[in-house]
Amino acid sequence: MSSSAHTALPVRRRLYRGVRGLVVVALTGVIVAGFLGAIPQLDILEQSARNLYFHVPMWFSLMAATLVSAYHSARYLRSGARVRDLRAREAARIALIFGGLGIVTGMVWARFTWYEGTGVWWNFDPKQSMAAVLLLIYGGYFVLRDAIDAPKDRGRIAAVYNLFAVVTMPFLLYILPRQMPSLHPGGEGSPAFSQTDLAPAMRWVFYPSVLAFLGLAWLLYTQRVRLAWLREAMRTPDGAPDPEPAPHR
Amino acid sequence: MTIHPLRPDAPAPRPAQERPDTAAAYDSTWAEQPVEQAPEGLDRLMGQGGKIYVVLAVVLLIWIGLVTVLFRTDRKIDRLERRLDRDIPKDE
Repeated sequence: MSSSAHTALPVRRRLYRGVRGLVVVALTGVIVAGFLGAIPQLDILEQSARNLYFHVPMWFSLMAATLVSAYHSARYLRSGARVRDLRAREAARIALIFGGLGIVTGMVWARFTWYEGTGVWWNFDPKQSMAAVLLLIYGGYFVLRDAIDAPKDRGRIAAVYNLFAVVTMPFLLYILPRQMPSLHPGGEGSPAFSQTDLAPAMRWVFYPSVLAFLGLAWLLYTQRVRLAWLREAMRTPDGAPDPEPAPHR
Repeated sequence: MTIHPLRPDAPAPRPAQERPDTAAAYDSTWAEQPVEQAPEGLDRLMGQGGKIYVVLAVVLLIWIGLVTVLFRTDRKIDRLERRLDRDIPKDE
């Protein structure tokens, strides 16, 4: 590769800074509006309906991160470029983090609404169980990676596994839970965009919140990729690894 | 510590117990009704709406802390990237 190999950064700095500024402003606004804004008064939910602004974007972020991860795994299988493997790994890591936050916040929310007064934290509601299975599948991705020492084999096998994992995502989060009786709302139609399921006053907080959390996930992902890239560059004697070497070298 | 005199009709903190005067001076029981006074300034603002503003303040502080970590990590990565760029001589 030419000398530009080690100057090729995995991210455009200006884009990153712009997104960072937007995310900080938007999420600060979402927190203030989410706490103080008007919401409909509903039985059982009461003020906990505000959790919508924070719990649901976790899952949107997970979905986006798994798609990004799978995209880079597919690119890795085609090109064998190390950076694709790093990107797939870091996106999967962000997906696991947001999924973990989503499942824990969902547990707390369910404990004091669905299971209020029963002391039950986990009752194998299909939506929750399937989400837990998805997290286990993505946990398996990292176990698999750690089990293989040779970087090329690791990248290739992990990428194939990752493509399998992403296919389970829509089934486990959408299709299967809707075939079973679940307490989780939004079983029919498209709850996020339905005209009747979400009060108009809440949309002005909810949609920016989804975008802001997606942005935050992207920032954390990019940070991890840059760090992984630096680590690679310090390990390789002649600077950063090839961003996109010719296949079958 | 302020000494709050017990009202005559207020029940003694521990009626069954003999209470010498030397111990009463150390009571922290708030037996006297405080003068009703509208809270002022920060107390008035933070006390509104079931003290939801207190929760908001706590969450915002946490958020500011997390943003600070985000920015500091970015700066460290920036610096490392620049140093790596400089240290590795360009081939060709």
